[in-house]
Amino acid sequence: MSATISVASARSQRWRLRGTRLRTFAARYSGRKDGMLGLVVLAAFTVLALAPDLFVGPLETATRATAHAFDAPSAQHFFGADDLGRDMLNRTVHGARISMTIGLLATVITLVFGVVVGLVAGYSGGLVDNVLMRVADFFLVLPTFVLALILAPVLIEVVGADAEFLGIRATLLVIVVVIGITSWAATARIIRSQTLSLKQRMFVDRARVVGVGPGRIILRHILPNVVNLIVANAVLTFATAVLTETTLSFIGLGDPFQPSWGQILNGAQSSGAAGLGAWWMIAPPAASVVLVILAFTLMGNALDDLLNPKARTRQ
Amino acid sequence: MSEPMGEPAIEPALTPPLTPGQIRGRRQWPLPKQADPAAPLLQVRNLQTYFKLGSGWVKAVDDVSFGLTDGEALGLVGESGCGKTTTALSLVRLLPTNGRIRGGSVELFGIDLVAKSDLALQRYRWREISIIFQGAMNALNPVIQVRRQIAEPIRYRLGQSEAASQKRAEELLDLVGIPSRRLGAYPHELSGGMRQRAMIAMALACDPAIVIGDEPTTALDAMVQAQILQLLEQLRRELGLSLILITHDLSVVAETCDRVLVMYAGRVAEEGPVARVFTEPRHPYTRKLLGAFPNIRSDRRTLETIPGEPPNLLNPPPGCRFAPRCPQVMPVCTEVVPPEAVFADGVRVACHLYETPVHETPA
Repeated sequence: MSATISVASARSQRWRLRGTRLRTFAARYSGRKDGMLGLVVLAAFTVLALAPDLFVGPLETATRATAHAFDAPSAQHFFGADDLGRDMLNRTVHGARISMTIGLLATVITLVFGVVVGLVAGYSGGLVDNVLMRVADFFLVLPTFVLALILAPVLIEVVGADAEFLGIRATLLVIVVVIGITSWAATARIIRSQTLSLKQRMFVDRARVVGVGPGRIILRHILPNVVNLIVANAVLTFATAVLTETTLSFIGLGDPFQPSWGQILNGAQSSGAAGLGAWWMIAPPAASVVLVILAFTLMGNALDDLLNPKARTRQ
Repeated sequence: MSEPMGEPAIEPALTPPLTPGQIRGRRQWPLPKQADPAAPLLQVRNLQTYFKLGSGWVKAVDDVSFGLTDGEALGLVGESGCGKTTTALSLVRLLPTNGRIRGGSVELFGIDLVAKSDLALQRYRWREISIIFQGAMNALNPVIQVRRQIAEPIRYRLGQSEAASQKRAEELLDLVGIPSRRLGAYPHELSGGMRQRAMIAMALACDPAIVIGDEPTTALDAMVQAQILQLLEQLRRELGLSLILITHDLSVVAETCDRVLVMYAGRVAEEGPVARVFTEPRHPYTRKLLGAFPNIRSDRRTLETIPGEPPNLLNPPPGCRFAPRCPQVMPVCTEVVPPEAVFADGVRVACHLYETPVHETPA
């Protein structure tokens, strides 16, 4: 009886400890101006992506357009209108959902595969390392567009064109999968190289001698030392994913029913907005992409500094 | 960093050393099952550790024998690359991947560790023989709190709960004189002396019988070095540890060790009580080594060097390995490996100058 009580109390104590740690971390993070700016910008875009209807009403389609073609920004249409007379503000806000979801999902896939493979390959060495890295080499040389062109019809054939997964249509899922497949290998290589170097450090030897198993050495000793690489990689992958989505939309693999920033840019390009001087068709989605990526970078920098105990005391 | 990090004051009074019987009696954990209670703590016989290179085997440790009794401190000295560290790390087989123990035995409580499989040897690593690593900064993970790292051997080697091992780590940090307000510190937040204290705490975590100090004071300044040595001496007396101290600083050995083992090119040159070896060096190499060490009272011009360099251990000379540099070299030295001559005062010397196996103490 007393044993169970002590176990329970130890557990509750651990949770309390975790809570305190989280609070002190939050306090330190809020002290970083750049990090907070990034967080605020990202939060704003997340809110827009989650509930665009609340801010700009339902998504405008060609049949529901409210303005004239190529209307310049005005009091009714802050961001002007596109070539079909659709409100640019409406489309940009609605585009946030697809762009950010694709960016996040692709980043998560890339990091999970890249980090796990990189750590395991780097730490194990030998045959495991060789096999994993040859697999990574294969994915490293896969051309993104060709893969997307092949995978898209296959996936759509398998799941059906109208199938939805977590609210994302199958065509967009192809983009996520393709970005993930083609970019995890680069992350794996970076993490592996750092793991190889860390493995030679004496503290890893010490941990091994002291009785810590390989799994725990990877998780407790090596992973925290590569967090800065992971964060930096996440930012880059997110940026690349948003851009890749743009490019893939351009070759017709986007989903015309769900606009993304890439699609809007693509539309502006194909309707000749630049030549007509209709900068408002290009600026809002482009600025959104830049802002989100910048916000990610700012947060990444702040997190990197805070998670590194050396940098922490230097402030 | 807000607070100054002074080292705690040295306590001048040392407790009297424990007797061997008391030491075995105060063990926190029972002896290993196969242990012979009457056997000496450690007996190394004809240990041979070689490293495989593309061009052959480097005979880093060749036919090294020595013993260690309960509570004793043994100093391993010699110049860089003479096999001091390899000898010590061979005890628990912590060798680089190309290192092999090719012969000899390492008997701990009468159990031969060389014959053990890697898995079976795990039970002895850290629990019976632990190590204070060279360069504490490198041996500590920069992103983990020192206390949590010290708790690791207790958590994983002894299999205790997280809470219990954290608590024990705190006790250990207290034992080595790290103030409790530094408990949550990361390695870079501690001074060099503090880090070395933390490494000592980690070495003591599983209450080992033998602690190997691999140049534990090399990177420290003289004052901190004295404090660390004082701490080691105090712990040795209080806890009844046996200490193997690897160093090339002869003054450290003179200060802390009972016996000294002088190594040259992978072999034992001379071994015996510190006081005897240092006042009456018998092997020409020991004499040269002592002569090459600066003495605060003598003129700096008198500092000696040993001409030449240690032999290539891939292909060592056939006789005495010191022969090419020895001032007293004889024809026999380059042909026959010198046998060990044992003197009445407990010194043994591997040199042809002392031909008969047992000698009277020289006057």
